[in-house]
Amino acid sequence: MNNSKPKTPAAFYTFLAQSFRYPERTWLIGPYFDLLENISQNLDLNKDALGLRQSYCASEEGLEELQIEYTRMFINAIPAVVAPPYSSIYLDKEGNLYGRSAVWAKQFYQLHGFDLAGEEDLPDHLVLELDFLGLLLEEGQEDAAEQFLSEHFRRWFPSFKERVLNGSTNKFYSTLLTLVDFFTREEP
Amino acid sequence: MAFQMTRRSFLQASASAALTTALSGWLSSGAQAQSGFVKKPFTAPGSFGDTTTVSGGVCEMCFWRCQLVGKLRDGKLVKLEGNPKSVDNGASICARGNAGVKLLYDPDRLKFPLKNVGKRGAPVWKRISWDEALDECASRLQGVIKKNGPQGIAIFPHGASATYPMHFFEHVVGTPNNSEASFFQCRGPRDMAYIHTFGVEASESVDMPNAKAILLVGTHIGENIHVSHVKQYLKGLENGAKLVVVDPRFSSSAAKADIWVQIKPGTDTAFLLAIMNYLVKKGGYDKAYVKENGEGFDQFVKAIAHAELDWAAKICDVPAAQIKEVADLLAKNAPHVSIHPGRHVTWYGTDFQRERALACLTGLLGTIGAKGGFVKAKGPKLGKVAWPHVGTEHAEEFALHKMAEKHIFSPPGTPTQMLRDAAISGKPYPIKACITWGQNPIQTIPGQQETIKMLQQMDFVMVVDVMPTDITMYADILLPELSYLERYDIVKTGVQWNFNDKHQQYIAPRMPLVSAVSADHQRKDSVWITNELAKRLGHAKEIQVPTAEAMVEKILAGANLSLAQIRKEDGIHLQPGSDPYGAVYPVKFFNEDLAEAGYSGAPNYTPVPDPPKGFARLVYGRVPVHTFNRTMNNAWLNAEIPENPIWLNQDTAQKLGLKNGDRISLVNQDGVVSANAGILKVTQGIRKDTIFTAHGYGTKNPAMTNAVNKGFDEQSLITNAAVDPETGAHGMRTSFVRIMKGGKVLNIPA
Repeated sequence: MNNSKPKTPAAFYTFLAQSFRYPERTWLIGPYFDLLENISQNLDLNKDALGLRQSYCASEEGLEELQIEYTRMFINAIPAVVAPPYSSIYLDKEGNLYGRSAVWAKQFYQLHGFDLAGEEDLPDHLVLELDFLGLLLEEGQEDAAEQFLSEHFRRWFPSFKERVLNGSTNKFYSTLLTLVDFFTREEP
Repeated sequence: MAFQMTRRSFLQASASAALTTALSGWLSSGAQAQSGFVKKPFTAPGSFGDTTTVSGGVCEMCFWRCQLVGKLRDGKLVKLEGNPKSVDNGASICARGNAGVKLLYDPDRLKFPLKNVGKRGAPVWKRISWDEALDECASRLQGVIKKNGPQGIAIFPHGASATYPMHFFEHVVGTPNNSEASFFQCRGPRDMAYIHTFGVEASESVDMPNAKAILLVGTHIGENIHVSHVKQYLKGLENGAKLVVVDPRFSSSAAKADIWVQIKPGTDTAFLLAIMNYLVKKGGYDKAYVKENGEGFDQFVKAIAHAELDWAAKICDVPAAQIKEVADLLAKNAPHVSIHPGRHVTWYGTDFQRERALACLTGLLGTIGAKGGFVKAKGPKLGKVAWPHVGTEHAEEFALHKMAEKHIFSPPGTPTQMLRDAAISGKPYPIKACITWGQNPIQTIPGQQETIKMLQQMDFVMVVDVMPTDITMYADILLPELSYLERYDIVKTGVQWNFNDKHQQYIAPRMPLVSAVSADHQRKDSVWITNELAKRLGHAKEIQVPTAEAMVEKILAGANLSLAQIRKEDGIHLQPGSDPYGAVYPVKFFNEDLAEAGYSGAPNYTPVPDPPKGFARLVYGRVPVHTFNRTMNNAWLNAEIPENPIWLNQDTAQKLGLKNGDRISLVNQDGVVSANAGILKVTQGIRKDTIFTAHGYGTKNPAMTNAVNKGFDEQSLITNAAVDPETGAHGMRTSFVRIMKGGKVLNIPA
């Protein structure tokens, strides 16, 4: 899929998905922080968000620090990754990758007209699930988005969030987890 | 952290100027990664929701030619089904028909013209262009024609697509040396015997759905699957027909039989003669029909008078009472009796006479034209495409059997044995070029070493095929042909499968279901290849049709139809048919022509050699999921039955310490050992003097990656084939075998 411009509110989910990709200068740039700050202001999260541009946009050391933290939390670490960003780890008994919940997610994508771009991609990565929510909303499939959240995403995201917050003091990710929570939590 | 704000109110508020600006700023920054998704409409697994149906397919996984439709998704064939409009196979196709998808996309298929830069039998292939391939074929064929005459070319064709080139070489180039496996290693004796008894071909023209009794001699419907034929057979049984099966083996048909005659192999004609003699003496035959339409009946009666029940019982190793029981059952249900002519009948080199006996029994019971009897369908008329017969006279002059005054009742072409002998000896003339087209003579013709000798002495060998079968290893030039799913070729015609239903005729041309063109291959159809050869051989002016499509158009035009019309009619044109019952054919019980040529004018029984001590006779048949070696590499079919079963009598197995599932080899009377093992099936359902296996396994070409080294080629064990004197067809149930296990040879106890 080309980078067609998502509509509001789909764009917020695309934005969140982007935020959990590997930190790189290609996207950690001014307009990204403009939007992050604006959303945060609207949610009264100013005090956390405002320092982020300073830490991670202005300095290269800051970026490297973020990359190291991302790797430690989500990719590879000794003795263990803090919080693998996959649903299978939290939902499936074995706690392995590509468990039943991942298969469920993949089938859900297919049922709603989407397939993973790469055949071998793990279907249940946080980035993909947020990206998918954006695509659904883009198409006006609000009911499907709600179903995906209630039957799948909300069942694992809180455990994931908890492990990140317990295992890291990084402000960038704690802020973004708060935003993800806001955009995905159950509302009356 | 808890928010007071809800998502809903946030999203409403997000219309605020600052946020809108930030959002569009971010969106236009281009800093977003590619989405991890692609859009793809949902297709439930196994569903055909987003496929398009293409009609006009005619199957060639065997040669019954069921009518097909294909389900395509993005140009890819995903499933084959029977054409629901078909009045023949209907919506049904068999396992092989289904597996056509896997033939189409078999990665082992031939793709480009190839030149053998190695040796015959041990090829090293080089891809060449069509121009280079055709130029070389033409110049080397021309070389042989110049040096040896057109008769110096031999052709081994098989299948619908081979008819066009076969007739080109016979009628235009002018060689008589055409050996069709479908005649000389299959149906030839049947077709000729019926023609010389009734004046018409037998085909499988028995009205089984409406029969009160069915006689199958060696025919094992159910293991041999032709969809509408199986439907006819099963409808007959469903309607209460009594079934008599004569077979040394408890075949799938024997399993449904009311009477199973477990006959000693090679003695069927004695059995049939005794039945006829008994019926004649008892007066249990159709006197009126015989009187009006019989020829030479008295001579016939005299000639078979010796065939008493006891005489046959001894020869056939079955009780006289059982022969009588069969005779009475047939007489009681006459004329509504289907005496099945069989299909693959090249068994013992005495097959013309057995087929004559079957035809005479058919006439004797007055079943011709009767409900349930021998009834030929009245099919539609078509146009014709024929090469001009500019070389036919030359061909006839050099026909080997005519020169030698042998095999006077040969089917069209030249008897294979004579052709091969002539090629090897160079007498009466040299045969120096060989063309095989869709046939695999290594596995179809008995006496492999002689066949290889024949090939090795050729100046040029050209092979056209779809798959890399054994014969392709012997090609100098190997040409890739389009499969039946990618080309136009024959126009299949017929009538509704059950004469009891509304009379309908159908016309169904074979049309491509998928594109013939693709970047990964350069396959061509036989009309194109032949025409290109014809142009290079100086026969451009004899070409009657420019393309296969034009050929089909011309054939259809004879029925006032066109491909466009057929497409509109979903691949099959239906028109009113007519009642086929009531036909009358003369029955030559005694055939003067045969007698004059020095053969027996009345059907006669000639004993065949018994197995030597310690050996059993090797007989072969089919398994329902394979068509000879043609389907062995098919991934689905190979997965079903990858190796040939070897049936062995239970008592014998016990004495030899063998058990079900053992892997065993066979060794024949000449010491030839099967190259691979088969899987032993221990059963009470086979005679002790007989071992059965399935034909077509054991390809030696490593390019057939699924099939190579699986099962064994039983043809390699047939080194002592007989030749039918009347027709020149081979008899191939002539080999005797012992068992080899763990390097030890085991004698078969008596």
